[in-house]
Amino acid sequence: MSELALVFDGVSYAYEEAPREAVSDISLSISSGEWIGVTGPTNAGKSTLCLLAMGLAPHFFGGRLKGSVLAFGRDSRTVPVIERSSEVGLLFQNPFTQISGARERVDDEVAFGPECHGLSRPEVDMRVEEAMRQVGITHLASRHPLDLSGGQLQRLALAALLAMQPKLLLLDEPTSQLDPAGTAAIFEVLAGLHARGVTIVMVEHRLETLCELCPRIVAMVAGRVLADGPPDDVFNHAAVQDRVGLPVFTRLARDADLPGPWPVRLADSTAAFESPIA
Amino acid sequence: MAGGLSLYAEGTSLLHRAHPLTKGVVTLSAVALAFIAPSIGWVAALGIILLVLVALAGVLRRLLAVALAILLPITLLLLAVQGFANPNNRTVVFALGPIVYYREGLAIAALAAVRIACLVGATFLFSFTTRPADLSEALMQRGLSPRMGYVLQSALQIIPQTLDMAGRIQDAQRARGLETEGSLPRRARAYLPLMLPLVLSSLVATQERAMALEVRGFGLRVKRISRYEFVDSAAQRILRWVMALAVPGAIAARIAGWR
Amino acid sequence: MGILNAFKVRMNTLAIVLIPVCIAIDWAGHAIASTLKLPLFLDSIGTVLGGLLAGPWVGGIAGLITNFISSGTVDPIAAPYSIISLAIGIAAGIAGYYGWHKTWQGRVALYVLIVLVASIGSTPLNINLYAGQSGVPTGDAIYAALVKGGWPTWLAAYIDEASGDIPDKLITVVVAILIYFGLPNRYRALFSVWRRPSTEAEPAPAASV
Repeated sequence: MSELALVFDGVSYAYEEAPREAVSDISLSISSGEWIGVTGPTNAGKSTLCLLAMGLAPHFFGGRLKGSVLAFGRDSRTVPVIERSSEVGLLFQNPFTQISGARERVDDEVAFGPECHGLSRPEVDMRVEEAMRQVGITHLASRHPLDLSGGQLQRLALAALLAMQPKLLLLDEPTSQLDPAGTAAIFEVLAGLHARGVTIVMVEHRLETLCELCPRIVAMVAGRVLADGPPDDVFNHAAVQDRVGLPVFTRLARDADLPGPWPVRLADSTAAFESPIA
Repeated sequence: MAGGLSLYAEGTSLLHRAHPLTKGVVTLSAVALAFIAPSIGWVAALGIILLVLVALAGVLRRLLAVALAILLPITLLLLAVQGFANPNNRTVVFALGPIVYYREGLAIAALAAVRIACLVGATFLFSFTTRPADLSEALMQRGLSPRMGYVLQSALQIIPQTLDMAGRIQDAQRARGLETEGSLPRRARAYLPLMLPLVLSSLVATQERAMALEVRGFGLRVKRISRYEFVDSAAQRILRWVMALAVPGAIAARIAGWR
Repeated sequence: MGILNAFKVRMNTLAIVLIPVCIAIDWAGHAIASTLKLPLFLDSIGTVLGGLLAGPWVGGIAGLITNFISSGTVDPIAAPYSIISLAIGIAAGIAGYYGWHKTWQGRVALYVLIVLVASIGSTPLNINLYAGQSGVPTGDAIYAALVKGGWPTWLAAYIDEASGDIPDKLITVVVAILIYFGLPNRYRALFSVWRRPSTEAEPAPAASV
């Protein structure tokens, strides 16, 4: 029986001095090893979901939290973010503002987190080497972080998180500021992590990508969960199609008046389009 | 090419290899002694010792270049003012028209100037032979909070970045018609249009940076493990103690009548 | 609320991250003044702004480290004055805690406080280290004239120092306050380490879907 990595139990949260809640009445159960894609229009509360899972909401932002967020069984209210950082990691959108700004070499930057945790020198060195290898930046080890491109920096930020060997990885639109090559590189790393049992919760706008990679999708609108399940179910749900959108293959199938349920992935849609013709 | 703010000049001299703490204590003591020593003879002797160390460190020419640029204006100012106006003035040395210069004032100015020269020399000797990263590491090994170590290291990188950005903002504003030359009021009016965008863009990233730091465990109260070890020795430890004790010793000597 | 309350709060991560930014603003403020060839130092704008935004620890440490770094790299003569920069940051922080910058009388008080801290603090240093001079040519010319005219050296030294501090700190405080109020509201709230108790009504839930 797999452990529950992340549980939201009737969670509502409002930022400090905000008139409306950012998320209302969220209940989700995520098991260890799952790869969840989170999507929705703007202000759906997707980023807030990540901040809640990490504990930055409410510890960093203040605000009002109702219900409870449990990561690996511990309530986020009782665990400071910095303590949480040994088992949960959060990758933000902007590659340039995630680096510490206090290290002059890529490998020292990756070592920053483990050093904050007081790990022994050999342990730190081992984790740094492994993390850099996992994201493919070992060849950049001696470079100054500011000499890196956006894509390389995002991989550096990811390595910096992986150096702490998190069991749960949260990603808030990790590739929105990257070019296609940088994007592909990140998803490749995530696939490797998923294969090794790391729980991943990823906020992503590209629906096609989500459907290819994530066995389970959570669609959010205006602070509430609209649908939660496999991509085929979620994107054949009428309300999701209205409020969130459709992967391009699904839209093509709908516009071609194919019988439902419509495919959400490239491979399935190839098959779906071939059958009427054949 | 990104880089931090530093005067550090690569080298392998004895001074380069000394423990940052040793260099720090010696620098501070030397400066204190320069200002405590009662007469120009003593201070000049200290200055010569410093010069020898500078030469040993292999940075003589570079150091003299920056040091003289700083020392010349202040020395002239001291001589000009003290030689002319010091209340102890009695003995005329020369006159520039109506302005008469006296030996007593010039001597006082000379003493102040040599002391300042020791201050500048000792400080630059430290800066030329010590990597900033080593200084913050040494301080943290001796108990400086890692969060303060972070502040220091981050400042050294963010200062040149911000100065670069200031340059870019200036170019952009000038392209929009901002006048940065001409009369004083016109130049003064350009100050806020150059500062405000700079401050805003500097502050924008702080929230994200703070969150990213917390996500990595910044601020955990754990026993800090050193990043690397410095070579230390009994000789250096003794030197640190001797130099540190020399300061109250010199003060006591002054009180006892050393002149 | 005693004055010590301004110091009591342990700096959170945001405050820590703000300090290097304030240090950079100190440097940039001075660099821009130099580029524009303005006859002022303007090297404490970040220190004062940091104090107003986040209190005496942030302002004081920013001032101290700005001075420390500049002493080590470009201006060793300023090294003994690090303690004055520390004091200015603390003064701005205490004034910020009491909200002086929000009223006209308070702003004048803030300016006067900072001029006094700078001038009264620097004068003994000038007297003991630099023969009473401030190192600024116009100020030192005034010093020379006053001493020649029979004024006591300590007073001449003070006037020398103050003649530089009065205009410099005026523009520093004015710019810092203008920037403070020119910042979006959420930045000011963000860095304030002293949270006010929440008195607004319960927020409305998100609309149903």
